[in-house]
Amino acid sequence: MAAESLRGRRLWRSGRARRMATQAGFSVLLLIFLAYMVERASHLDLDIGFMDAPAGFQISHTFVFGFDSGESRLAAYFVAVTNTIRLVVVGILLATVIGVLAGVARLSDNWLVSRIATVYVEVVRNTPLLVQIIFWYTAVFLKLPRIEAERSLFDVAFLSNRALALPWPEPRGDFFTAWVIVLALALVPGYFVRRIRARREAETGQTMRPNLYSLGVVLGIAAIGFLVLGLPVGIDTPTIVSEEFTKGYVGGLSVTPEFAALLIALVMYTGSFIAEIVRGSIQALPRGQTEAAMAVGLTGYQRITLVILPQALRSMIPSLTNEYLNLTKNSSLAAAIAYADLFQISEIIINKAGHAVVMFIIVIITYQVMSFTISAFMAFINRRVQLVGA
Amino acid sequence: MQAQLSSLSGPLLARRWVQKNLFSNRWNSVLTVITLTLFAVIAYNLLRFVLVSAEWESVDVNRRLLFLATYPSAEEWRLWPPLWLFSGVAGLAYALWSRVSRREIVILGASAAFMFLLLAEGSNGALVATGTLIAVGAYAGGRRLRETRYDTTARRVAIGGGVAVLPLALILLNAGDGVRTTVWGGVMLNLTLATVGIGFGFPLGVMLALGRASSLPVVRLACAGYIEFVRAGPLILWLAMARFVLPDFLPTVGGLDEVDLVVRAMMVMAGFSGAYIAEVVRGGLQTIPRGQREAADAMGLNAFQTTWYIVLPQALRSVIPALVNRFVSLWKDTSLVVVLGFVDLLGAARAISAQPDFVGRQAAALLFAALVFWTVAFTMSRLSLRIERHLGVGER
Repeated sequence: MAAESLRGRRLWRSGRARRMATQAGFSVLLLIFLAYMVERASHLDLDIGFMDAPAGFQISHTFVFGFDSGESRLAAYFVAVTNTIRLVVVGILLATVIGVLAGVARLSDNWLVSRIATVYVEVVRNTPLLVQIIFWYTAVFLKLPRIEAERSLFDVAFLSNRALALPWPEPRGDFFTAWVIVLALALVPGYFVRRIRARREAETGQTMRPNLYSLGVVLGIAAIGFLVLGLPVGIDTPTIVSEEFTKGYVGGLSVTPEFAALLIALVMYTGSFIAEIVRGSIQALPRGQTEAAMAVGLTGYQRITLVILPQALRSMIPSLTNEYLNLTKNSSLAAAIAYADLFQISEIIINKAGHAVVMFIIVIITYQVMSFTISAFMAFINRRVQLVGA
Repeated sequence: MQAQLSSLSGPLLARRWVQKNLFSNRWNSVLTVITLTLFAVIAYNLLRFVLVSAEWESVDVNRRLLFLATYPSAEEWRLWPPLWLFSGVAGLAYALWSRVSRREIVILGASAAFMFLLLAEGSNGALVATGTLIAVGAYAGGRRLRETRYDTTARRVAIGGGVAVLPLALILLNAGDGVRTTVWGGVMLNLTLATVGIGFGFPLGVMLALGRASSLPVVRLACAGYIEFVRAGPLILWLAMARFVLPDFLPTVGGLDEVDLVVRAMMVMAGFSGAYIAEVVRGGLQTIPRGQREAADAMGLNAFQTTWYIVLPQALRSVIPALVNRFVSLWKDTSLVVVLGFVDLLGAARAISAQPDFVGRQAAALLFAALVFWTVAFTMSRLSLRIERHLGVGER
């Protein structure tokens, strides 16, 4: 009997048994919770059929695909997703440019430049994005003159509170495709020029400017092709059409004030965070790198593009990915100024048809797919820039 | 360099400085001219707006709306004790863990004067002054106690007082007849949402982080699942869920399914910030060397003791700056409740443009709201920088 109780106590003392017991207890609680949630959800209508019904609303912003209120809700959601993707892709590109510029500027030895960059980062980063979006929208873009009294820039671009109409390139004539092919083919000699000159630079130590020369070759061929094929790309300038009751723009690129306000706010906001990441990564580099680059005789520009940024990029990418994901999620604030992004359209669908749970699951999956795409792309880039064997 | 320059006389010094910092080479000179032009254009427009075209009257008339919105004025007394407690704790903590530099005296004095002018209406002036006096008194007391034998006690009082702010506020707001959450508004709503989000989100986040780092697979999976699920969607989506979905899933016991939207928004804020705080804490947990746990095991500490006395103090200490940055984000995120139709600070600023006197003129009010959000966020981020330097993180 003594042996029995000793064994029992040993069982309790044994870490493994206790871990099993804790896990079992936790699992039971978790199962009860999940069962409760499922029971609650079973009272709701979880059928996805409501997405096939006609939408019954218009979408104010469309870009590649048009939309008509007779089409299904699923089609409306698809159009909204393209709107979000447009915002996110353009936003990520511009935010990266602004962020890198501001981050490098903060470390500039030019006092004025570094101070202005610091003020930009500290002001924008510590103000809520939503306040900034609403400010750009109501205090800047809606304050532009009405379309009747629009402001024009040299008669090629027009600013009004209905739209910003900008000139935009457009294919002309029959040889556009041919020119694109010429452009693609021009990359081949460009690649070889770069390789040969880079090798000679490495061998002889003379400055051969491989990038500059290969760019020159590609642009030269493109320009000759452009002239020979009879100017296959033209600039389409917007023109105003006035009908009896409405006025609008035809041609060019027409950007709605909602999109413009959102894009500027998102780019400035995310850019300020990226600037901090860039600055941190540069400062984390050993100071010897800059000194060595100076000793070798590189100019300031060469120092940054050839020595500092390529190395800083390595430690930047994980945080940069995080900011891109934040930008993607922050794009949902579009709903506050009625830009037809996927969140705003799904709210409209919920208001019209209910089915909130199903709709939210669809929205979360959509965001997750977008996040996953961005993460996968950044992981691919990360593999390319990491040190081999490091 | 400093010593070299200071031997020069004034004008020459200035010239040297300009030459060295603005026109050191051709490229820098071009850059200076471009940025100076850009800066002049922006500064001119901003100044013209602030001094000429902005209608600050819309802010002046609506001070009450911006700070309290629909909160009844007869119930304002409930808000002052927590504020006083907070200023006392702030003064005491400042004295015990740091000290105010001369520059900070100017900044703090200016902001106190600004707050005084902004809120000095009727008896509010005296109440703000009381708060300021409490802060100054606590600071003076703290300086006297520092590094005496009462030092530790004073630090415990400061921490205890800081923890007590939220319960005191919640108790006072609900004492007696209480104030219905539906009338909370203005800056006060933002402050409450942020405090509740931190107060409940922080313990939740620590538990989630510990769970995610646990060696028990079920616990680890459940915690990781929650964190990743919450982080998958934007906050605005979870807030919309608080409106459309949460009522269907809250248990019917204790009338929990009938709580109003403000309370549901608070639940979402806490749950959301918990997931993000968990990720920050996880980073801290990963910095603890294995040897620490092994040493604790060898000393015979059990799992709870190891976590509570060995792991958490070190893990949390190393992530304090990142945690404060999370709090800054949470503070900024409280502005998102406008999508639920709440009249928080941003909602109040937007509502001003609907008033007959100020139709369509909300730029001044929006700027004011931005300034309030910015001041709090900037102060906190400076604090995090300071703690970072104090802890020597990044130097190790």
